[in-house]
Amino acid sequence: MTRTDARQLGKGLAFVSPWLVGFLLFMLLPIVLSFYYSLCDYTLLQPPLFVGLENYRDLVHDPIFWQSLGNTLYFAALTIPSALFLSLGLAMLLNVKMPGQAIFRTIIFLPSLMPIVASAMVWMWIFNGKIGLLNNLLSKIGVSGPDWLGSSTWTMPALALMSLWGVGYTVVIYLAGLQDVPRELYEAAQIDGAGLWSRLWNVTLPILSPVIFFNLVMSIIGVLQVFDIPYIMTPNGGQGRSTEFIAMYLNDNAFRFLKMGYASAIAWIMLLIILVLTGLAFWSSKRWVHYQGK
Amino acid sequence: MARPATGDRLVLSVKHAKQIIVGLVTVAAVALLLTPARHPEVIPTGRTLVRYWGYWTGVEADAMQEIIDSFNDTIGKDKGIWVQYISISQSDQKTLTATAAGVPPDIAGVMGDQLAQFAAMNAIEPLEKMAAEHGITREYYKPVYWDACSFEGHLYAMVATPFVVGLYWNKQIFQDRAEQLRAAGLDPDRPPATLAELDRYAQALEVWKDGHLEAGGFFEQQPGWWREHLYDWFGGRIFDEKTGRLTLDSPNVIQAYDWMQSYSKRIGPAEVSRFASGLPDVNTFDTPLQPFVTGALAMMKQGPWLANSIEHLRPAMNRWKMSKQEESKLPREQRKQNYMWGAAPFPSAVPGEKNAGFAGVDILVIPSTARHKAEAFEFIAFVNRQDNMEKLCSLHCKNSPLAKMSGSYLANHRNPYIEVFEELAASPHVHPVPPVPIWPQIQSELRNIAGIIVQDVGPQSSPAHLLAEAQVRYQAELDRFNARRAERRARGLLQ
Repeated sequence: MTRTDARQLGKGLAFVSPWLVGFLLFMLLPIVLSFYYSLCDYTLLQPPLFVGLENYRDLVHDPIFWQSLGNTLYFAALTIPSALFLSLGLAMLLNVKMPGQAIFRTIIFLPSLMPIVASAMVWMWIFNGKIGLLNNLLSKIGVSGPDWLGSSTWTMPALALMSLWGVGYTVVIYLAGLQDVPRELYEAAQIDGAGLWSRLWNVTLPILSPVIFFNLVMSIIGVLQVFDIPYIMTPNGGQGRSTEFIAMYLNDNAFRFLKMGYASAIAWIMLLIILVLTGLAFWSSKRWVHYQGK
Repeated sequence: MARPATGDRLVLSVKHAKQIIVGLVTVAAVALLLTPARHPEVIPTGRTLVRYWGYWTGVEADAMQEIIDSFNDTIGKDKGIWVQYISISQSDQKTLTATAAGVPPDIAGVMGDQLAQFAAMNAIEPLEKMAAEHGITREYYKPVYWDACSFEGHLYAMVATPFVVGLYWNKQIFQDRAEQLRAAGLDPDRPPATLAELDRYAQALEVWKDGHLEAGGFFEQQPGWWREHLYDWFGGRIFDEKTGRLTLDSPNVIQAYDWMQSYSKRIGPAEVSRFASGLPDVNTFDTPLQPFVTGALAMMKQGPWLANSIEHLRPAMNRWKMSKQEESKLPREQRKQNYMWGAAPFPSAVPGEKNAGFAGVDILVIPSTARHKAEAFEFIAFVNRQDNMEKLCSLHCKNSPLAKMSGSYLANHRNPYIEVFEELAASPHVHPVPPVPIWPQIQSELRNIAGIIVQDVGPQSSPAHLLAEAQVRYQAELDRFNARRAERRARGLLQ
């Protein structure tokens, strides 16, 4: 390495050093420490006591862990497909040239800008079983609505419904993807006699598949870590822990029960689950994701 | 001068824009660097700063600030101490993190529920020695509050403000439903005296419309804050201090939760759920939807502060027969008739037992790694001085934790039924949070069980079944906690 190279390297490192130091101190070190703590009995207030794999063994026999994991996966199963379909549908509608297109796009995106607490409070009123807007509307068609947030059966669908409120971001990504679909492909398909559905199935979706894949992976990661909405809307994990999500159980163990080691073990299991599901998504992507130019 | 070409103008404008942005950022940075740090509170020189973190905000924080100001102007001045109150949300978690990092506040205001957990982990300082030096002994307090601040024979906290839970009843609703009450053989002019009577009153006071419950008599889920302490009204205990074992599945505890479930069995879980959905959740209290204030519930379990809340939410309930001015001319005992509501002890399920139930505390603790422990205790002792404690409890509309009370405190309290709560708090049948280091876990489980049994009345959701499961699981958890605590002690990691 010449002196000029060394100088260049020094300058480069100096410029990236704030990020580098931040990453080492606030990302890498906590990651390493959390793995170590997952092998310890650690209360925050006392020195960690090494217990080997005991925290992981305990997790296997912990019914609340399994219930919260089941709740999280159920929520994921409800929200990921519905959010994907809804946002894709909305993006396609918003891609149609029509008067007021910009206004409609803004309206769809607007809820994403609302603070979570504010939108949660609004939805708590909407879901109120007795005087809520939703049950009021249902009563107009002769349906007696349930206690959405108080019933262990209906809380999860209610939370899933509410999560669709924030599809604005995904819609914007789909809209950007839709701009990339070459117009000539539609024209060629139309000349070949393809109808609306055929064009959607054979042109739009294949071209959009990398964007769908991206949104799928981001949804998996995001939904499995869901915390704020159920924490606000269904205090203490809802009736019979029906909305106790894995991230909430982790938080309880870390900061309420002071079982930081156990919480760290949950965090690592969460990471493993997210890795497996994301890996599955990547594995399946070979069959249905088509990249242009390949 | 020749005009620049369009391309040149663009380059110029971009260059200017850059200069303007860089200039603005530089000015902002320089302004920030030159701006001195904000010191909203001027701390006199020569004073030791005692930092006090608490979760109180609004009127509660203002009341404590009055006490702090009084301390800073008197004893603080004499002894060179300055107390600074910092209101923070989740003060317990932040105190813990700061304690772990070695930079805790000198005083932390936390909930009494956490005392055993913190004390068992040596996170807080034992206070009995400092308390004795200030002449503060068990006799100074009502026993339940001294016990609430103690763990394994040591005093780890002192009271910030206490409370005890009683039964509120709406006299107007009792009058409106007098016919139904009399038909059920009940007196509309008094609250229920036994638990069996409470159930009968509750049923007679219910208003049903089109097959739906429109107004309730009594609902254990409201406000839902003490569901994990229900056994206190049934003579039950969930922890045997002598053996150190949990007793979650003991008959009296099961009986308490059976009673809770009996309402769902009678009314129907779906209807209970429907009715509850129109009521505020456990985290909301001071709301116009508060069911005792709206009349949606004729009776409710609550602490002494409900009087304050009623004054704020529906003042007419505190002016039932006359104006406040006219009321002030009446002898104290007669003033009660001007209130649309009354307060009484919540009936005990134990035959012949009066004044039973649960008493809780907001506590002041000194983290074990605090820097100014002696100075911190000076302030804590000041708060617990009779005049200051009575002032604080009056402003918070709570009962006093102290064994002795002044006549003016009782006469001027905002809750005209304060004697009911004081008698309750002094009763030997009133209990604090059980001294179990894993209480937060047990509390969470008992709340979960309460949630299950009111929604499902099937055999799988019988309190006996759920409590037996909980007993096995949490006894194992407690055993492990104790084993690891012993191991830490053996290794010298814990004093």
